[in-house]
Amino acid sequence: MEVERLPISAALKGKLVSAGYTSLSLLSSLSPSHLARDLNISENEALDILKYAPHDGRIDTSSGHHVINGAQTAWDMLHEEELLTRITTSSVDIDNILGGGISCGEVTEIGGVPGIGKTQLGIQLAVNVQLPIHCGGLGGKAIYIDTEGSFMVERVLQIAEACRDGMSANNTISQNVHAGQVGMQPKDFLENILYFRVCSYTEQIALINYLEKFISEHRDVKIVVIDSITFHFRQDFEDMALRTRLLSGMALKLMKLAKKFCLAVILLNQVTTKYAGGSFQLTLALGDSWSHACTNRIILYWNGNERYAYIDKSPSLRSASAPYAVTTRGIRNSVSNCKRIKLM
Amino acid sequence: MLREDFIFHVRDMNIRRKSFLAAKQMTPENLLRRPRPAPKCTTGCPVLDRCLGGGVPCRSVTEVAAESGCGKTQLCLQLLLSAQLPPSRGGLSASSLYLHSEFPFPLRRLRQLSRARPLGPRHDPLEYIFVHPLQSADHLLDVMPRMESFVENFKSQFPVRLIVIDSIAALFRSEFDNNPLDLKRRSSMFFKISGRLKLLAEKFDLAVVVTNQVVDVVAPNEGINGLRIGNLGCLESSGRRVCAALGLAWANCVNSRLFLSRDEEIVSTVNDMRDECGCERMHCGTRRRLHLLFAPHIPDTSCEYVITREGISGVCR
Repeated sequence: MEVERLPISAALKGKLVSAGYTSLSLLSSLSPSHLARDLNISENEALDILKYAPHDGRIDTSSGHHVINGAQTAWDMLHEEELLTRITTSSVDIDNILGGGISCGEVTEIGGVPGIGKTQLGIQLAVNVQLPIHCGGLGGKAIYIDTEGSFMVERVLQIAEACRDGMSANNTISQNVHAGQVGMQPKDFLENILYFRVCSYTEQIALINYLEKFISEHRDVKIVVIDSITFHFRQDFEDMALRTRLLSGMALKLMKLAKKFCLAVILLNQVTTKYAGGSFQLTLALGDSWSHACTNRIILYWNGNERYAYIDKSPSLRSASAPYAVTTRGIRNSVSNCKRIKLM
Repeated sequence: MLREDFIFHVRDMNIRRKSFLAAKQMTPENLLRRPRPAPKCTTGCPVLDRCLGGGVPCRSVTEVAAESGCGKTQLCLQLLLSAQLPPSRGGLSASSLYLHSEFPFPLRRLRQLSRARPLGPRHDPLEYIFVHPLQSADHLLDVMPRMESFVENFKSQFPVRLIVIDSIAALFRSEFDNNPLDLKRRSSMFFKISGRLKLLAEKFDLAVVVTNQVVDVVAPNEGINGLRIGNLGCLESSGRRVCAALGLAWANCVNSRLFLSRDEEIVSTVNDMRDECGCERMHCGTRRRLHLLFAPHIPDTSCEYVITREGISGVCR
């Protein structure tokens, strides 16, 4: 069915055609927000138009285009990938090896020994996501799921204060001051972190199942940090098969969440020792099957007296490590003299 | 009068049978909390408190690791007393539970400390300290439900807000061998115990303090596979390289770790005094230091301290 015959206003028809949507089959796999952006119309108007698009899976060959409902062209996918935005870690070196920062739409696992700075990085990201885009954030809110009791309000306020000071320094240089962002105080940063405390594995599973509903009611959430994903699963489970099922169910849900709402999901993990190759090696907890659960993996480790972050797994980044420091202001670049970024 | 074997005290009270763990209907919405700052319990010394960011935090498990004779138990006894102070003086106005696996209970030293740090004219601090012995890790898990019941049901002007376990290492000393299966079983128990302690701490706003021993370290702890845990690359006490007992698994179970060290050192030489064989006379003293190995809210700090009749106090140098 041709677009010209749709019972919509002429102006909308004109916009559809000039954007390239000459046939209804081209509309069938679009989301309202995508169409609204493309045509520069409101989402409601886009919804009205999409009511007429074919919804079944039949291949519509009426106008010579073969389109299966739900399929995307590679061009669309490239376009979507460019829209994927990043969140700064406040350390330029780590941002560089990450290709700009933590990516949205992906699950990133961060593991390391106690005291290396996992919680510090988690809190830094929960604060940074609230910064405006020109400061490396997304102007959004954060969900922080605390399973161990490591979230200390005074530390969050300390990091937020340093961010606020950094932002006002930035604003004096550039004239690009957003009305809503001026005057963001540390306690405002704290208010924008939606904090959940989980005390057992059943609470953790229930909460992760509930997140989809919660986030659809809080669309400004752009990052979910789980600190740590592991703790409640390292107890003895009488039924190990159950544990594996629960873990993979959780992993799947989190990946879907990241993709659907285009947010960053950060999973903080612990390390354990594994006997391999005749010696004990450090490895992330939860076993080999869990290693498929995340898109990216970063390992934090000590090298001499310095902390390093290492990209262990990524579909698009090369393995590299960068030094960083945990300061009173939060995560920052390391200031050591012999600092170097190693490419593996 | 000290309340020993408080489990019997619990039996005297008319307590509800149902464990608080099988509580009211839990919904995920209830898990959303308004984050509030954790109250801190003073150690009884302002210098140590400054080093620890105010004191021992509530809703958190703090570990104190040291070799014997460094003052772990003394610090714990001091906390049992300072918890009873009102919040205006840094305390929690709280009673404490003290679970001990080393015997006998140091009653004499506790009495000495309480005389040196009086809390009020008609306040007998021993009335607000509940003591229970522990034989093994399994015993601790057995005692936990009754402990949880006690904390929930003990109605008083001084509710229980501090739990001390002295020491956790002694509980695991004898019954686990060094084979992978036993180590795995031991690991699982760590997480089970820590999980329950943290649940208790969160639900009742308690501070939990656990003491741990140290063991000698032989392997290097450098490089990506090294086992450095915390701000100090190398822990030393009495001239030996040590690390906290119970390994990496237990380190993952605590929120903060403090390390107490001691070293004999030459404090001064006595001028011009030589003994029979012509050697200089020296005064030796014990240098004691408290190090913060890791904590989510405090940076790398350390401070020197001394142990006197009045207790443990930090030294500003």
